[in-house]
Amino acid sequence: MTDSSAPQDAVVIERSFDAPPVLIWQMWTVPEHFKAWYGPDGVTVPVAKMDVRAGGSRLVCLEMDTPAGLRRMWFTGEYLEVVQNQRLVYTESMSDENGNVLSPSDLGMPPGHPATTEVIVELQDLGGRTKMVLTHTGIPADSPGAAGWAMAFRKLGAHLQAHGAR
Amino acid sequence: MIDEDRLSETFAALASSTRRAILARLAQGEANVNELAGPFDVTLPTISKHIKVLELAGLVVRSQRAQYRPCALDPAPLEEISAWAEQYRPVWEARFDRMGDYLTRLRSQQRTDEHDD
Repeated sequence: MTDSSAPQDAVVIERSFDAPPVLIWQMWTVPEHFKAWYGPDGVTVPVAKMDVRAGGSRLVCLEMDTPAGLRRMWFTGEYLEVVQNQRLVYTESMSDENGNVLSPSDLGMPPGHPATTEVIVELQDLGGRTKMVLTHTGIPADSPGAAGWAMAFRKLGAHLQAHGAR
Repeated sequence: MIDEDRLSETFAALASSTRRAILARLAQGEANVNELAGPFDVTLPTISKHIKVLELAGLVVRSQRAQYRPCALDPAPLEEISAWAEQYRPVWEARFDRMGDYLTRLRSQQRTDEHDD
C-alpha cells in the first residue's frame, strides 16, 4: 500500500491485468508490443531497441506532432536486473539518437531534473491474472543501492507521518 | 511550486549512504554530532561535513540553544522530491490504460484467430 500523502522519492503504481505474467513481460520487452502502449496520447514510438539482459542497453524514441513539426526525443538506458516474467529494472536518461546521454539542462529541462532515473517493474502471478507494480525513482542510479533507498525512503516517510512531522 | 535548484541540492545530498543513514537516525528524534557518528567508522570531522551538506540542502536544522547543538530533521525538501516524482504519475497511468486496451485487443484478435483455425 502506498499513502499518497507521505513523502515519496518515487512514483509507485500498482495495476492488475487480466493476462498472465508472460504476456505482461512481453509488453515491456518485445519492441512491437512496447511501441503499442508506451507513448501517451499523441505520442508514437518509432524506435525501441532493447537488449534485454543485465548490462544490455536500450534506446527508445518518442515522437510527437507539435505545431512546430514533428519532435523526437530519445531515451537510453541500461538493464540492471532481468528476471523473466517477474522483475525488470532499467535506467533511463535523455540522449541523442545514438544513445549518447545528454544532461537535462542541455535539453532545457529544469536543473532539478535528475539526469538518470530508474524504473522497476515487478510482476506477480495471480493465476492467469497479473499484479504489476511500477516504481519510477529519481534518485540517481549511480548512488549505491538506489532501489533499496526507495524502500527506506518510504519507511522514513511513514515514520515521519506517524510522528506528526510535516 | 517546486524550487528546482533546491531540488537538485536535495538529490545531491541524498546520494550518499552515510547521509541517508543520518537522516534515518534523525527521523527517530534529535541527536548531536557524537550520537550521529556512533554507528559509523569515520571521524567526527567527516560526520560534521556530511551534516553540513544536509544542512545546506535544508534537510537538517541545528539548534543554537545548547552547546552541543543537536541536529533535527526537516522533511520539507523530501516533500518537494515527492512533488517531483508525482509529475510522472499521470504519464504512467495513461500508459497503463493503453496497455490494458492493447491487451484486450490482442486477446480478442487471438480468439478470432482461433475460430479461423
